[in-house]
Amino acid sequence: MTIAETGSAATRLRRRFALRGYIPLVPPITFLMIFFAVPIGMMIGISFQDSKTLAFSLGSYERVFTDDLILAGIFRTMLMSGLVAICVTVMAYPVAYFLARSTSRWRTVVFALAIAPELAGVVLRTYGWLIILEDRGFINDALIWLGVISSPLPLAKNLFGVVVGLTHVVLPFGILALLTSIQGIDPNIEKAAQILGASRASVIRHILLPLSIPGIVSSLLISFTMAASAYATPALLGGARFKVLATMIYEQIMFYINWPLAAVMAIVMLVMMLAISFAGARIETRLHKKLNV
Amino acid sequence: MTTLKTLTVAAAALFTTIGAGRAEQLIVNSYGGPYEAIIMERIIKPFEDRTGITVVYDPVGSASQDYAKIKATKGRPGFDVAVMTASQSLDGCRDGLLEKFTTDTVPNLAKLNPAVSRMAGECGAVHEVQYLSLLWRTDKLKAAPTSWNALFEQELKGKIILPTFQNIMAANLMQVLSVKNGGDLLENVDPGFKAMAVLAKQTIGFEQSSAVMETYVKGGQVWAMPYWNGRAQLLMDSGVPVDFVKPTEGTIPLIATLNVPVGAENKAAAMKFVDFFLEKASQEAWVTGYKVGSARSDIEVPEAVRSRQITTEGDLEKLLLPDLSITAAKLPEWGDRWEREVVSAAN
Repeated sequence: MTIAETGSAATRLRRRFALRGYIPLVPPITFLMIFFAVPIGMMIGISFQDSKTLAFSLGSYERVFTDDLILAGIFRTMLMSGLVAICVTVMAYPVAYFLARSTSRWRTVVFALAIAPELAGVVLRTYGWLIILEDRGFINDALIWLGVISSPLPLAKNLFGVVVGLTHVVLPFGILALLTSIQGIDPNIEKAAQILGASRASVIRHILLPLSIPGIVSSLLISFTMAASAYATPALLGGARFKVLATMIYEQIMFYINWPLAAVMAIVMLVMMLAISFAGARIETRLHKKLNV
Repeated sequence: MTTLKTLTVAAAALFTTIGAGRAEQLIVNSYGGPYEAIIMERIIKPFEDRTGITVVYDPVGSASQDYAKIKATKGRPGFDVAVMTASQSLDGCRDGLLEKFTTDTVPNLAKLNPAVSRMAGECGAVHEVQYLSLLWRTDKLKAAPTSWNALFEQELKGKIILPTFQNIMAANLMQVLSVKNGGDLLENVDPGFKAMAVLAKQTIGFEQSSAVMETYVKGGQVWAMPYWNGRAQLLMDSGVPVDFVKPTEGTIPLIATLNVPVGAENKAAAMKFVDFFLEKASQEAWVTGYKVGSARSDIEVPEAVRSRQITTEGDLEKLLLPDLSITAAKLPEWGDRWEREVVSAAN
């Protein structure tokens, strides 16, 4: 065998090994193709149909971008998801920090409590919030009984109720995203800064927060996308007066049987989430560069 | 060769035995809760006893969800009979997703009131007629209401609840109020929307689910609301201090239908079930059990039941009967108006 032949055989062998490396990817890619790519393709196809004649039409796209009720729904979805993302991340950070750094025996209890909401179904938890927040709910009844208010506060069937309910639903995911990130920060850096005279606030501001940016961005993105696609909580806690894209899509599919319009709204939601994810990744990179971390 | 022949004959005999031993089966999709218990006792059990067909009951999904499933599966939703309403029957017939009934396949169709039967089209067998009633708390209201006007009274400010537009009661109430205020059922509904906008100011909110609306009445936050009379009767029978009336200005019926998807696996059994449900005895059992009306006017039921239900030609003639195909076509436009004019007017 010549050197050239040996080299070519080695290249073939390398290629074979390289190809074998892709084999584990086959099942997930096949799964995603069948259950994600194909349905998305079908949805895109349906979006270009007329709801009655099924002929090619751009009518649903035109309606989505000109109908003020749908535009208001898109705005409400973004507002709701943005607020949930911020609330979750702000509330999750101290919990995640405690879980990452504490050696207390309460750590396990706190971790269990943080994850516990996931043990109950979303619908069950949402009904729980409804019982607490509605006009004759626990909070209003207690405040009226104490004489603090004379008529119920509007705590449910509005933005406030939905944000509270969704924050509860999404919080565990925010905690897990931040926990992974904070655990990756060497605790000696914080100790070193404190030994050198940095205050606790300064350590948080100049060390912890910059180093945990990937976790913060992950938490914001996960929370935003989960909130934007949530159906049960907005449907139950938002009611007729607070409709978001998910509930509007459901109405078009189930009640009006207008699948093309539902498909366009779903595409808008998908594009919105992709745009937010892309923007999140860009912001994270820029912040890293700016802060030199 | 002889061994092979013996094995073949034995296998054939075994398969024949298995085939003969397997009972005929029928999957009926309908509703859960009290409905399920009553339909099992009054209709399904007697049907099984008479025909030997085993019924598998599927209580998942509302009428609109069932129809969405039929549409998504192109008429093969996995059930043989669906309990839906006349609206879905008309849509399904138009889309070619539901079987057309004839008096050959369902002889008892001939016994139904023609006007009501026509409303459901060729693919819907009307097995029940309810009407939009005015439900009220007997321990809260000073006097028994007789008119839809009661909902507008100052006494009921903040004490009524309305359905969301995704509950067909909303469109029907708007249509009734439209007629009451000088409009009509389909083309000139402006008076209906104007009245609904006023009514919205009286309401504590909107709920899609009839069952959830009911909880407000049980809890005492709501003193009156529009409600299907069958459910109103069940609520009354459960001991809640409520009563219901058929308002003097008239009302719109909810025409419930039995439907067979085109791809039903057990079509012959499905047709037998539909016909059985429409029999005189079955209709009498259903009317007295679920406390609803019937499209058969020859049924014999106690006066106490009859007086509150739609059971006679006279009762049927007094109903406001909109063309459901046109109603269905107008729903998207009305839904838009509902959001802009009614929901936005609520407190």
